[in-house]
Amino acid sequence: MWRSLGRRRDEATIRILLKARLMPRSTRSSASPSVSRSRSRTPSRRTESRTRPLTIVAQDPSIVRDGRILTATVDVPAEALAAGPWGHRVQIIDYDASTDTLYKPLNATAHGTGGQFLDPYANAADRTILRDPNFHAQNAYAIVMRTLARFEFALGRRVSWGFGSHQVKVAPHAFADANAFYSERDEALVFGYFPGHDGALVFSCLSHDVVAHETTHALLDGLRTRFTDPSSPDQAAFHEGYADVVALLSVFSLTGIVEYLIDYSGKRRDTKRDRRVIARKYVDHEQLRESIVFGLAEQMGSELSGVRGQPLRRSLALSRSPRHYRDDPDFLEPHRRGEILVAAVLNAFISIWSHRLETLGDVVPGHLDRRRVVEEGAAAADRLLTMVIRALDYTPPVRIEFGDFLSAALTADAELQLDDSKYHLREHLRESFELFGITAASRGTATEPGTWRAAKALKLSFSRTHFESLTRDPDEVFWFIWENRRALEVFDGAYGRVLSVRPCLRIAPDGFALRETVAEFYQVIKVSAAELPRYGLRAPNGMPRSTVVSLYGGNALVFDEYGQLKYNIHNNISDSVRQQRRLDYLWRYGFFNAEQVTTNRFAELHLRRAMGATLERATGEEW
Amino acid sequence: MAAKRSNRPARAPTRLTLRAYQVGFGDCFLLTWQYSRTQRHVLIDFGSNGQPTTAPKNLLNAIADDIRKQCGGKLDAIVLTHRHKDHITGFTTQKDGSGPGDVIRALGPDVVVQPWTEDPNAKTDATEATTDGIDGKSFVSMLSAMHTVSAGVVAEAGRLAATETAPWRRQMFQGLTFLGEEGILNRSAVENLMAMGKAGTATYVRHGQKSGLEKVLPGVGITVLGPPTLKQSSAIKKERTADATEFWMLRAAAGERMAAGGEPPFPAAATLSSRRPPPYARWFVPRVRSIRAEGLLSIVRIMDDAMNNTSVILLFEVGDSMFLFPGDAQIENWQYTLDQPELMRKLANVTFYKVGHHGSRNATPKTLWFGFTHRGPANKPGRLRTVVSTMADKYGSLAEGTEVPRRTLVTELQKNSDFFTTQSLGGNKLSQDFEFEL
Repeated sequence: MWRSLGRRRDEATIRILLKARLMPRSTRSSASPSVSRSRSRTPSRRTESRTRPLTIVAQDPSIVRDGRILTATVDVPAEALAAGPWGHRVQIIDYDASTDTLYKPLNATAHGTGGQFLDPYANAADRTILRDPNFHAQNAYAIVMRTLARFEFALGRRVSWGFGSHQVKVAPHAFADANAFYSERDEALVFGYFPGHDGALVFSCLSHDVVAHETTHALLDGLRTRFTDPSSPDQAAFHEGYADVVALLSVFSLTGIVEYLIDYSGKRRDTKRDRRVIARKYVDHEQLRESIVFGLAEQMGSELSGVRGQPLRRSLALSRSPRHYRDDPDFLEPHRRGEILVAAVLNAFISIWSHRLETLGDVVPGHLDRRRVVEEGAAAADRLLTMVIRALDYTPPVRIEFGDFLSAALTADAELQLDDSKYHLREHLRESFELFGITAASRGTATEPGTWRAAKALKLSFSRTHFESLTRDPDEVFWFIWENRRALEVFDGAYGRVLSVRPCLRIAPDGFALRETVAEFYQVIKVSAAELPRYGLRAPNGMPRSTVVSLYGGNALVFDEYGQLKYNIHNNISDSVRQQRRLDYLWRYGFFNAEQVTTNRFAELHLRRAMGATLERATGEEW
Repeated sequence: MAAKRSNRPARAPTRLTLRAYQVGFGDCFLLTWQYSRTQRHVLIDFGSNGQPTTAPKNLLNAIADDIRKQCGGKLDAIVLTHRHKDHITGFTTQKDGSGPGDVIRALGPDVVVQPWTEDPNAKTDATEATTDGIDGKSFVSMLSAMHTVSAGVVAEAGRLAATETAPWRRQMFQGLTFLGEEGILNRSAVENLMAMGKAGTATYVRHGQKSGLEKVLPGVGITVLGPPTLKQSSAIKKERTADATEFWMLRAAAGERMAAGGEPPFPAAATLSSRRPPPYARWFVPRVRSIRAEGLLSIVRIMDDAMNNTSVILLFEVGDSMFLFPGDAQIENWQYTLDQPELMRKLANVTFYKVGHHGSRNATPKTLWFGFTHRGPANKPGRLRTVVSTMADKYGSLAEGTEVPRRTLVTELQKNSDFFTTQSLGGNKLSQDFEFEL
């Protein structure tokens, strides 16, 4: 059903389909029209639906409203579920290795059969939310599916996981440990549980941002498989920072969470508290930022910092200053550095939101319609989320740096949305990144600064390639690259491979379709340290001459609907400045040591972050 | 009976007898300093985490008895480099007074030297600590929490090994038990050392401090090279501290839960057989077990590194002779010393090296080793003497290049020093003596 939707979707329709509806836990919230739909005492039923509603915890159980855990009802693609839940892209297998326990899933009928879609946990009590493993399974399933659907919507195509099979396996209670991670080898997302400060168990699978974060790792790994290679500090940080960005924007796109923030803002400051309005002075940039910090960041379960760090609180604590970036040794640890990316995007989000609110008229002097304020916040997060997901297609396939990502996001948005006058997304994003010391990798044009340079000036040969094949066939794309290798600045003499060819259809807000084909090409050569000078590089101090070093390069080729090349976004093997930076970093941090080769990079990274263990290893001192 | 001490002014000793005990995987060295009219006895570490199959069951008691015999009933000082099992179990006491630690305690050591992280006051007052980027107070709390974590790891790995059907994974869980046991708190040994320190003089040392051994070893120059403080070795922000401390406190709570039996979080929930899972789960269940085994391994390795890096590193000097005892210090601990040219010039003259951390790959920094000027071929006059106390096949893996002792290191030690390994003693001989004229 979801597939048939793909042929006729338009953005407005899909936005409605994906829109999360809050299930308020108090009578006060019943003003929201979405509330009345989902407050029935019996499991909700839908037939012939393209989506299905499922109850999730809105953020995590520490976010409580009117004495109850704040939950949401989200729409996810409808499918006939097997027991697990187990669908076409996600399989929940609730096995706990620490206690050797395999929990029995709900019978498939609980989620509906024969075209009926039930939400067995509609209006679930807090006790059920905390103590029923089958609710935890549903929560994980729904958030993983929602995140996947969000990517597919933004990119206009199916999105594969970062491994061979169709279904990611999810273990909501995999072990008794303060950790959660994506394991490519095991095709899995695994979530731990552990006793909190008060002795009660904390379940990481109940944390929306943790589940969305790990799902994003799995999706990003599918879209840019070389981003997990040891490379630059930025690349190591990008996976973490980007996963945090997607997770947090995903949370902020829930109107209920935004409402929670605004409530907090009103409670703190507005003694009269007319719940239909909010004073304009309480929703400027600084006040909104403060609401996020004190209304959400400080409330999110501190115990979970061992699992996710504290990207929201810590990134918002960064002052807007370029001093944080690149050269500060404190920001070399991947999670810490990733916070810069999070800070830049969150700051842009607040700017976009506050800018939108400035354009709204007062409903009473000095006051705005509270509901509108909430909707604008969720919409700003949603728009920005779409933008950062679309950016992935415009990133170089290897050795990404934050400036590359900024150019990619600006280009992706400019391609689809010529008129940026409503949200000023690109302007706010560019300015915000610059505030944190990140400048776009490309200068762009006078009208669209920071975007990638178009490939139209390149002298390319299409005479031996075929348009239709070029949209789907890696061999055809490789032929095109081979024919044009000099124009595309591909390195002569290196092994090369087309990693992917992905046709996509994106719908602009004006209803027009943008058809593109995105191909990923990467190259590698292996040389000894002694040979590095031939490539304009020097071996890091202490590196034995016989050490084998891999040098990577790659191109993202974006073809238009006529098969013409629009963009050639590349990081070349011959870029000696970036290559040297990468080599020095890898050597300094011991990535050439056998011990650093770990079977599960994300698990180790999360663990070391949580433990405060430094990543820097003395190199060349070991036997 | 304790030997009576002379009040004569101190003079440098003329001879050192170093007795390396066969403790299997562990360290135990008795240093007997021969003065003109007396002897001074210093015990450096006494622990074991795995003994040769042919060793007597009461090996540690036999060693304690031998120490008593060698020192004539009076120990002058004890150095505990760090509190890992393979360095501390010999100090364990028994209620009936039959533990090896009871024997040692009766020897009435005048000085007990431990790393500053063992200082009971450090838990509340310290502002600096050792190696890995955490402030002192948090670091000590973290080390304390690690003991609980270790207990949890051992309990969980033991249960998982018992239910494991795949031999390689069962072996992995058993290996985890060994590693985890290293870090379990040996309360009686810790309390015994504290009590001995109170009865005499307890010193808790860090890089650059006086060791406290000076008063029992007149004429011997003693330099404390490690552990460094955090301020000396790292400048990580306090926010990181909060994360790490938080993590270890929570891990400790999880460890307690595991050690207490590992009750499933939903005891009343319906379950399926994990031994014969339904077909849809048969591929995945073993994978989650592997994921867990790897996770536990990462945790114990990080704990192991952290504890090793609290090791006291001592350098003894008499005339042209220099004796280096680094405990299990790894590179992170060594780094502060390696960065100081003056100290490195001094270390170049080392004549005896107790090989760090049982010969592991990252406890003998190459910069240090290749800086030793007495290193060289067999015919080199005044050739460096090296001794490692170790036991192969207990730790690490050859495939990963983490085996202990590390083959490449042993080859180098054999090639360029007078090398001795306690492994060569087998299970029948208790110790090996080395004599040094000073």
